[in-house]
Amino acid sequence: MAVSTRPPAHRPQSGPAASQRRGRPARHQDDGRAGYVFLSPWLLGLAAVTAIPMLLSLYLSFTNYDVLSSFSEADWVGLDNYRKMFTDDPAFWHAVRVTLVFALIGTPLKLGAALGVAMLLNRSFRGAGLFRGLFYLPSLLGGSVAVAMIWRSIFDRSGAFNAFLSWFGIEGKAWVNDPSTALGTLILLAVWQFGAPMVIFLAGLKQVPNELYEAAEVDGASSVRKFLSVTLPMLSPVIFFNLVLETIHGFQGFTSAFVLSGGTGGPVDSTLMYTLQLYLKGFANFEMGYASAMAWVFLITIGLVTVVLFRTGRFWVHYSDGDD
Amino acid sequence: MTAPRLMRGLMAAVIALPLALLGACGGDDNSSSDGKTELTFFWWGGEARAKLTEQALALYTQKHPDVTFKTTWQANQGYFDKLATLTAGSDAPDIFQIDDNYLAEYATRNVTLDLTSYKDSGKVDVSKFPEGLWKYGVVDNKLAGLAMGENTQGLVFNKTKLEAAKQELPKTGISWADFITWAQKAGAATKIPGTQDPSADYKAFWVWLRQNGKDLYNGNQLAFTKDDVQKWFELWKGARDTKATPTADVIHEGNATDITKQLVVTNKALTSWVWANQMPDIQKNTKDELAVVAYPGDPSAQWARASMYFSVYRGSKDKDKAVDVINFLANDPEAAKILGTDRGLPSNLDNRTAVAATVTDPAMKASIALEDELVKKFGPAPSVPPKGHSTVKSELIKAAEAAQFGTATPDKAAEQFFAAAQAAVAG
Repeated sequence: MAVSTRPPAHRPQSGPAASQRRGRPARHQDDGRAGYVFLSPWLLGLAAVTAIPMLLSLYLSFTNYDVLSSFSEADWVGLDNYRKMFTDDPAFWHAVRVTLVFALIGTPLKLGAALGVAMLLNRSFRGAGLFRGLFYLPSLLGGSVAVAMIWRSIFDRSGAFNAFLSWFGIEGKAWVNDPSTALGTLILLAVWQFGAPMVIFLAGLKQVPNELYEAAEVDGASSVRKFLSVTLPMLSPVIFFNLVLETIHGFQGFTSAFVLSGGTGGPVDSTLMYTLQLYLKGFANFEMGYASAMAWVFLITIGLVTVVLFRTGRFWVHYSDGDD
Repeated sequence: MTAPRLMRGLMAAVIALPLALLGACGGDDNSSSDGKTELTFFWWGGEARAKLTEQALALYTQKHPDVTFKTTWQANQGYFDKLATLTAGSDAPDIFQIDDNYLAEYATRNVTLDLTSYKDSGKVDVSKFPEGLWKYGVVDNKLAGLAMGENTQGLVFNKTKLEAAKQELPKTGISWADFITWAQKAGAATKIPGTQDPSADYKAFWVWLRQNGKDLYNGNQLAFTKDDVQKWFELWKGARDTKATPTADVIHEGNATDITKQLVVTNKALTSWVWANQMPDIQKNTKDELAVVAYPGDPSAQWARASMYFSVYRGSKDKDKAVDVINFLANDPEAAKILGTDRGLPSNLDNRTAVAATVTDPAMKASIALEDELVKKFGPAPSVPPKGHSTVKSELIKAAEAAQFGTATPDKAAEQFFAAAQAAVAG
């Protein structure tokens, strides 16, 4: 797989004198080629681990491929997988519903928590740095299996959360093991990992010019008014950025659901997220063709949601370029 | 018609490109220019099993210096994902461990080597195996795996707690109704629910079906009706109503977690429904003394089940040598001594007698005693579960839990499971 650095045939013709004579344009061309050479490991990686598998999965989504056989044994079934998904698979629609609930409830709560805490931390007080670090910590750990396991034990029947409730004489239950509350604990876990958007909000808050607040104060604005009329508009590009990113994250929720339900989406499918159902179809039911089709529908849906967010962004995101 | 053909052409190019690149990088690492063979070997299990397996393989290399092994092992979780991925890439290990949840999936897709001709020529020796046991590796008339151990269904109970509360201990042969009454009484006396609710447990359901003259499967079809499922769910609804079992959220814990978190271990129930050879693993995780009997009802509905198999990959470059290795692991007395009862009671009855005589672990002794007691009563083994079995299992959990949490009546839940199970075995 050796990559030749440069076609050597060129060299003899263009000695130092020749390249000098041809001057800048030739040099520029040379640099471009060198750039691609240096990029080649990344380009190869992109092709081998992203582009080719994606095309492959697009192909497989039109077949009945079962994972265990070789690709050549997969039969072309046209749009059957897609047809079955939309018309004949209640589990698919169930997974869509669960994911929508997770993303549509979890994302705003998470952004709200992130903004709230960012505003609290956007003051100078002793140990501010420590607090910022502590609040950021969960999102560093958040995606990991370990945190999901801890979450499981906290919301278990004999877990810390119920011990806390028992102080008030409330008898809890195994929250992660009950279909009516399991998804709620997952949403809570996602909200708790608000550190990443919080840090971005903090950076955004630092950018809001103090003069605006001072001017608002002179006009006698209340703090609520200041928040609505100064902070939010000035912060809107950052809010927009976080909203897009976290919405996509929300749709992709997998690890916590996988770990908390032991890889089943249970109890009674209450945590059967879209990506989990996709995984189960591919690896537990040996319907990789179908799972590939699900993956493409997922990709297109997230693309559409992002486009819609960008469209609506025109109406509420304000970019101040400094000269207005 | 042309669109698929065009796509296929494109795909062939797309697939061929990276393969060619990869091929250029690595040589043929299995090349036997020096007469040596390296076989890849993959299993699931814990550290103890890894040690024993490595030792047994080292013994093989000692006797056949031309064969060495490249071993990989991991916990049960994720094992079959990895095996499927390796198989998809035509890179499956030469020898791999498998169980009856997946044997048919792999065998019907021709991943496993058919061992029939090796058996006929004596290169795979099953003459010392109980007949039902090696036949439990036959899928579509092909011997897809060699049973590496035997086990059977076992009802494990907490002897310490029951004796402390002066409660009767469950016995093999107790009827289902009596068992549930006992569980309710023992639960009231000990303040720990008497039994895990096994309505989501396919093996309990299976034994119960066989006692009622039915079965889980008949070839590639379901051998029970929707009404049977409903009766099964209603039986346990009754048990839950009398508080013989824990509440639904706790039952789910037992369904969802691995064997070391079974309710009998975590003290959330006095009995759990397991495989008898799991006794040592369970016992290790609790200070209380456990004991094991057969599932309720007529014990002749239970059978000698192959706890797991070794299979040879059909695409292996050294099939004959790989086959010789699994034959060695199953039949060689020295290898059997090393492997012990880690994968169940040795399949080879001579080895089993020798190994059983040296077992010291009381939990394993209890498991062997149960097997010895039942071996005379065992009914004929059912055929190995068909393709779709793993889906049937998860659908049963889903439906049973819907009934447990009350989100569906036993009637509705049974209907839902029956339809899903039918689709799973047909698909």
